[in-house]
Amino acid sequence: MAAVFQYGVARALSDPNLKLAIDRTTVTAERKRAAALADYPQFAAARERGTAIKDHVVANLDHYLEEFERNATASGAKVHWAADADEACRIVLGICREAGARRVTRVKSMLGEEIGLPHALEEAGIERVETDLAEHIVQLAGETPSHIVWPALHKTREQVSALFKAAHRVPHEADTVEAMVESARRELRDRFLSAEVGISGANFLIADSGAVCVVTNEGNAELTTTPPRVHVVTAGIEKLVPSIAHAFAMLRLLVRSATGADLTQYTTFHCGPKRPGDRDGPEEFHIVLVDNGRSRMLRDGLREMLRCIRCGACMNHCVVYRQIGGHAYGGTYPGPMGAVLTPALEGVDKARDLPHACTLNGRCQEVCPVSIPLPTLLRGWRDRSWKEGLVPRGVRSGLGLWRFAAERPWLYRLGTAAAVRAMRLFRRGGWIARMPFAGAWTRYRDLPAPAGRTFMEQLRDWERGR
Amino acid sequence: MSAREAVLGAVRAALGRPSPDPAAVAAEAGALLADPDAIRPSLPLPDPVAAFAARVVSPKVGATLDRIGDLQELPEAVRRYLAGHELPRELTLQPDPALRRLDWTGFELREAARPDEAVALGRARWGIAETGSLVFHSGPETAVLNHFLALHHLVALRAADVLPHLEDYAAVAGPAPRNLNLITGASGTTDIEGSYVRGAHGPAFLHVVLVGAPLP
Ligand code: SF4
Repeated sequence: MAAVFQYGVARALSDPNLKLAIDRTTVTAERKRAAALADYPQFAAARERGTAIKDHVVANLDHYLEEFERNATASGAKVHWAADADEACRIVLGICREAGARRVTRVKSMLGEEIGLPHALEEAGIERVETDLAEHIVQLAGETPSHIVWPALHKTREQVSALFKAAHRVPHEADTVEAMVESARRELRDRFLSAEVGISGANFLIADSGAVCVVTNEGNAELTTTPPRVHVVTAGIEKLVPSIAHAFAMLRLLVRSATGADLTQYTTFHCGPKRPGDRDGPEEFHIVLVDNGRSRMLRDGLREMLRCIRCGACMNHCVVYRQIGGHAYGGTYPGPMGAVLTPALEGVDKARDLPHACTLNGRCQEVCPVSIPLPTLLRGWRDRSWKEGLVPRGVRSGLGLWRFAAERPWLYRLGTAAAVRAMRLFRRGGWIARMPFAGAWTRYRDLPAPAGRTFMEQLRDWERGR
Repeated sequence: MSAREAVLGAVRAALGRPSPDPAAVAAEAGALLADPDAIRPSLPLPDPVAAFAARVVSPKVGATLDRIGDLQELPEAVRRYLAGHELPRELTLQPDPALRRLDWTGFELREAARPDEAVALGRARWGIAETGSLVFHSGPETAVLNHFLALHHLVALRAADVLPHLEDYAAVAGPAPRNLNLITGASGTTDIEGSYVRGAHGPAFLHVVLVGAPLP
């Protein structure tokens, strides 16, 4: 993973299109979120309440899981439980086989990505049609999502145009975004209506009714879940809320933080299968409740992370994410929340680098609508990887050396005084573009040249002169 | 051990406490809904109908709005809309008795939307002033797909059914329908370079006809 991460970062930084593509979306998202919050003076109180609602649910998670199961079953849904990703995929594939599915449509769901459902469907020989526009792009490109709200944010319009022209039956002619969206609409319309199974995730599970809330702006969710004979929901166990009123309180936070709108265009609550007299809807409705590491997070001091409502604000505002994009993180979830989640889901030994790819500037925690202390949780992973001896020898001995000097002020002063003078030899107009041992840094950015003397030296002079 | 027991067992072990008292949990959940005004945006206008009307045509929702005094005038309002968009007089009509009983002479009506439907007309059960949302419950009188397949979605709503806030819907809704659809604008996407385009998969146009509102 360490090598994978470094390779991913190097590739990301050398891709001239990527930074441009990331900026086009994240800058807009940041601006729109700020405007939405300016119109919502109650945000601070709402955020506190939302945090309390999620904490309450997590503290009573067993209670809410059982209440949800009871009510969902009463509505005619079939509730399944999966301890891990493999078990979840096996259950979904079993349902698809039972339904004789050759084609399934799918609404974007990060949990689906997390458990590897796209891959599992492919292996089982079931045609998978991604219906979210961004997921459709990612599928055509043979890639994985690079953002949890805008999975194709790393693609420029030129790249999307080329993909659609190669794959669509009646592709667009004009190279405008409007024409491309229309091309996808044409391409996917008959697929929606011919699938045997529709698969979605869940934004919220409503305990007191057994309903499942799914939000989109495109309307692809309802077109995915209504026509097929079977609708399957895969949901993480942390998605619960006590009632629909609590879901509304959370939606106000989620949508503003994600896209800067006040509410998604389509906000739908699914409760059970088709009822007598219904004009449409699935005859079977399955809900797969997936743990996959969540109970472990609860046990291991990551309880606060279970508040996460997957809004993506932390990555939109992250200086590291905006440089390297989502793929470099190597896991399902990118950005600050991914750097906390991936070690929990895949093991700290496999994702040791992620918690270190962070400047700890605290922006993520500031914008998080459920006040998750992301920097603190990241520091926790750093501690653990140090204690578990996962930090490489070079870094350990470097830090050991630094500590030896830091505990001996005379030595530290001597060392820093020598260093600032040596560094000035490499300066060009206030900046250092190249220096021995610093190639990894200076390859992508310049280092400001230090002042001629250390802070301590300057302070001493200033005190003398006083 | 079943997966259910494994998951619930792991959650309980992690929480490290005996099963919670349901009454205490319910009381705590209820307390989290106290003082809703502290956590929701206040309406920009004191009258919910006026706030709703302003909201649906704002860029936040981006719908168009027509107002009629009585439901009998709906076919005429629809005729106006179709003429304005140079569309033929044919549409999918939600199987709602209140809509069915109107005089649709001169229209070609369908019960279920076709895959490439141009126009669908429905009636929302409620409107929400806070967000400009239209609320539908699926059932014998409401097909879900009718809201999603057409390019132009036309929705009639009685002014008396406009509620101020989302929580007000929760209070009057009754038992959960199979599908509760809150529709807040036309279908849109920002998936290509963050630029906003309408008509991604669902309707590209949303037109609201407010019924019984005092005409401006
Ligand atoms: S950690 Fe917070 S900001 Fe990041 S996705 Fe989760 S809820 Fe949003």
